[in-house]
Amino acid sequence: MKLWWHRSKREKELEKEIQHHLQMAAKEREERGAAAPEAAAGARREFGNVGLVKEVTRDTWGWRWLENLYEDLRYGVRVLRQNPGFTAAAILAIALGVGINVGIFSVLNGLALRLLPVPRAEQLLSVDQVFHGDINRNVHGEQSMFSYSEYLDYRDHNHVFTGLAATEPFLEATLGGPQLHPLMGALTSCNYFDVLNERAAQGRTFVDTDCAASGQNNVVVISDELWRGTFATDPSLVGKQIILDQTPFTVIGVMPAGFTGTEPVASAFWAPVTMQKTLDAGRDRLGDSNMSWLAVLGRVRPGVTLEQVRADLSVIAARIDESHPGRQTTLAIARAAFFGRPEEHSFLIPAASIVLAAFGLVLLIACSNVSSLLLARASARHKEIALRQAMGASRWRLVRQLLTESVLLSALGGTLGSLFAFWSFAGVLQLVMSKLPKSFPTLALNVAPDFRVLGFALALTLMTGIVFGLVPALRTSSLDLNLALKGDGTRAVLGKRNGRFLRNAFVATQVAVCMILLLAAGLLLRGLYHAQTVNPGFEMKGLATTYFNLRGLNYDESSAAAFVGRLRQRVAALPGVTEVAQAECGPLSSDRSGDRFFVAGRSEPVDIEYNHVSPEYFSAVGIPVMRGRGFGPNDWKDGSAIIVTESTARRLWPGQEPLGKTLRSRMTGGLLGPEYAVVGVARDAQVSHLGESDTMYLYFPGGSPGDSLRSYVLVRFSGSYSDLAAGLRGIAQSLDAEVPVDVKKMEDNLEIWRAPSRIATALSAALAGLALLLALIGVYGMVSYSVSRSVREIGIRMALGANTSEVMRQVLQQAMRPVVIGGLIGVAGSAAVSWVLSSMLFGLSAHDPVAFLFVPIFLLIVAVLASYVPARRATRVDPVVALRCE
Amino acid sequence: MNERYRNRIELLQGTLDLLILQTLLWGPQHGFGISRAIRANSGDLLQVDAGSLYPALHRLEKQKWIAADWKISENKQEVKVYRLTAAGRKQLMKERSRWEQISDAISGVLNPGKKESAS
Repeated sequence: MKLWWHRSKREKELEKEIQHHLQMAAKEREERGAAAPEAAAGARREFGNVGLVKEVTRDTWGWRWLENLYEDLRYGVRVLRQNPGFTAAAILAIALGVGINVGIFSVLNGLALRLLPVPRAEQLLSVDQVFHGDINRNVHGEQSMFSYSEYLDYRDHNHVFTGLAATEPFLEATLGGPQLHPLMGALTSCNYFDVLNERAAQGRTFVDTDCAASGQNNVVVISDELWRGTFATDPSLVGKQIILDQTPFTVIGVMPAGFTGTEPVASAFWAPVTMQKTLDAGRDRLGDSNMSWLAVLGRVRPGVTLEQVRADLSVIAARIDESHPGRQTTLAIARAAFFGRPEEHSFLIPAASIVLAAFGLVLLIACSNVSSLLLARASARHKEIALRQAMGASRWRLVRQLLTESVLLSALGGTLGSLFAFWSFAGVLQLVMSKLPKSFPTLALNVAPDFRVLGFALALTLMTGIVFGLVPALRTSSLDLNLALKGDGTRAVLGKRNGRFLRNAFVATQVAVCMILLLAAGLLLRGLYHAQTVNPGFEMKGLATTYFNLRGLNYDESSAAAFVGRLRQRVAALPGVTEVAQAECGPLSSDRSGDRFFVAGRSEPVDIEYNHVSPEYFSAVGIPVMRGRGFGPNDWKDGSAIIVTESTARRLWPGQEPLGKTLRSRMTGGLLGPEYAVVGVARDAQVSHLGESDTMYLYFPGGSPGDSLRSYVLVRFSGSYSDLAAGLRGIAQSLDAEVPVDVKKMEDNLEIWRAPSRIATALSAALAGLALLLALIGVYGMVSYSVSRSVREIGIRMALGANTSEVMRQVLQQAMRPVVIGGLIGVAGSAAVSWVLSSMLFGLSAHDPVAFLFVPIFLLIVAVLASYVPARRATRVDPVVALRCE
Repeated sequence: MNERYRNRIELLQGTLDLLILQTLLWGPQHGFGISRAIRANSGDLLQVDAGSLYPALHRLEKQKWIAADWKISENKQEVKVYRLTAAGRKQLMKERSRWEQISDAISGVLNPGKKESAS
């Protein structure tokens, strides 16, 4: 305020000083004999441009830029308020473009950029192993994880961490009680909570003695959500026992609300890592020093740099490598965040780039729309600009003024859009996740804005303002004063051809970008349709599947085999049932097994997926065995017979007789496992990945008692599915009421495959819809602008005898040129990049001719309609009025 | 238009400051008076245009080499009158000796023979 007062005083003083100068100069001229008016004019001429002298003088006062900014802003606000329609349209377009981008960024930020939600998370580092050379490793989770002995080695011999914790995430367990309840939890080292700096809300977390002996400490810490939900906030729960996988565990603590572990999927309980064999019966990961299964997090000592951590840990890594000749381990060390493992990064980064690019394209359309609006408005402002220039404003000053206006616009739009995104995206995310099938875990994502999101929003907003403002500003400020002041604004501002070129370029850009997004949506939609109608190579109709997991239910191998055997017998006797089979992995379920095999005559091992199936599998599922034989009831005892798929046979033994060929599996320690001989060749079927029938796949004979602890029972039936499902459930209940039964139609398994692509389709359709709307506005605006600009020309033409249809054709032709050019560019661009979608197209070509034919036609029709409306106005031009008005 | 002025200011900057300070050595003077004095004392050779003069005056004032007072003129007008400060006097001496050095150096370069014969 004081500054402002001071400035206005100086301003007045400068005015007085200059007036005095002019008076003195005039007086001097009068004394020399000039008449008063001539003297004054002469003095003025000698003095030069008063405004400019003032300006360069003011420049010496300092703080000039701030004052300029203030003036520009004030002026900008005034200009924007004078054109409420234009302002609202521009702000809305920018809000839309910036809003969705800020929203999607806040989701990505929550997914992978935010630090873990624990105190002083910036000190937490995640450590991952990247193996090179001869890798022979058992993996449960990701290969980059640690074995228990490796973890202990790093924990005890590093000098850089105050504590190093390990955890096995995503451990499924069944909570016993009146109702069985599947839970997702984690096994952790007993310093886990201390390293994270997390305390229990009730009771305590683990102490070292909880991990002292393997399988001895049945203690568990549970999440606030589990305590509130399943245990109804029982105030005396701590100290009580709960049943996890048929084993009693004592609850020693309840974590505070909001703590869900260190993975994006919320954990319901935490048990000591030494309880692994109890909670995953029949598997020993603790004792396997070559097993990747533990994620490792460390809290770094104060003052220790990342380089020091790397150097210190790599000494340990090198020492461990000594006992694995041919293998080198490097360590990936990073600030701990969700999805930080190298494997997860290699998936997330490309996916995120595609999503960001798609959202960015919509912003680009919005920008070019606002650009052409500004450009159109520039011709309406040409007199004002010319006047400012004549008064002594420099071109740079004008550009700055115009940019201030556009940044003001983008700031308003960006703020509006960002606020809307902050407010709505948590809800949008909830909605999207609720559309996923139940088998998808819910993510513990925090999409609330933090400094990164705010920074992104700010940078995006500023960039947007400059991007859409710069071209119009440069154009507008370079006008020809003479022409502008004389009144023919169009030519003066834009040099007619140039201006049209720019506007056409904007429209072409919009159409091209819109075409890319529309084609992506079209391809995904076609892929979805394809997935519904695709022939998977087996008989999907009339097949029911049910999954039994008896592992946590007091069953051992032989009782499990007895249960499943009796169940299969009685189900086979149900009316309408033609075949009952058993398999390790259900067709198109989320269960998959695979291993590396050695083929005689090949030095490199090959990755092949496999399944253990009962002899009835092929006829039940409807996969014919093309050569050789199927499995017999006793094949599992010998275990050497395998059946491969046709394409596997073709790829492993091209042009040779596959029957009798042998494979060897690879055992721990690089030793060769037993030999398997091909006894049959089955037809290719998409039993593992929908849309892919040529994956390497082989079948082992199932039937050993251990296979029944976890298995699928597949039933081929004719008649009503609900009768069958009821019958199946009844039989299972009568055998053991404790066993949960989950019967599904085979077709329902498709849902797991379609859900992600349905979401991608909905998302891209929504984006493409926005893009279409914006591009439509762009085309409409361009055509109506050029019609309004060429009213006189049209008038002359009609006066010379052109009829309305000729005028219409001419206007449309002109309008369609940038649309067609942009469309072609868009089609070419899509064709070049559409392969990124191929994983969601279920075998449909990424250059699907149907999508590539109909989408461009659709866009063309829409563009013609958008131009037709304003073009019709051109045909209504009255030549007399048109010639008179300009 | 603007470009032209700015170029000229740059060109004249050092010398114009010197001329203004020198002019004010004879007593306080207003802007118009300074420009007329410079013109007269240079035998009408140097024309200082307003676009250079006023920025220079305001800059010198900011540097505290000259100070301004408001006086009432004979026709009852407020007039801004500049005068030399103590710091300005020192600056004038500095700039004068620098100017003389430059001027000697330049004439030395322009007339190499003269210098040799003089020594």
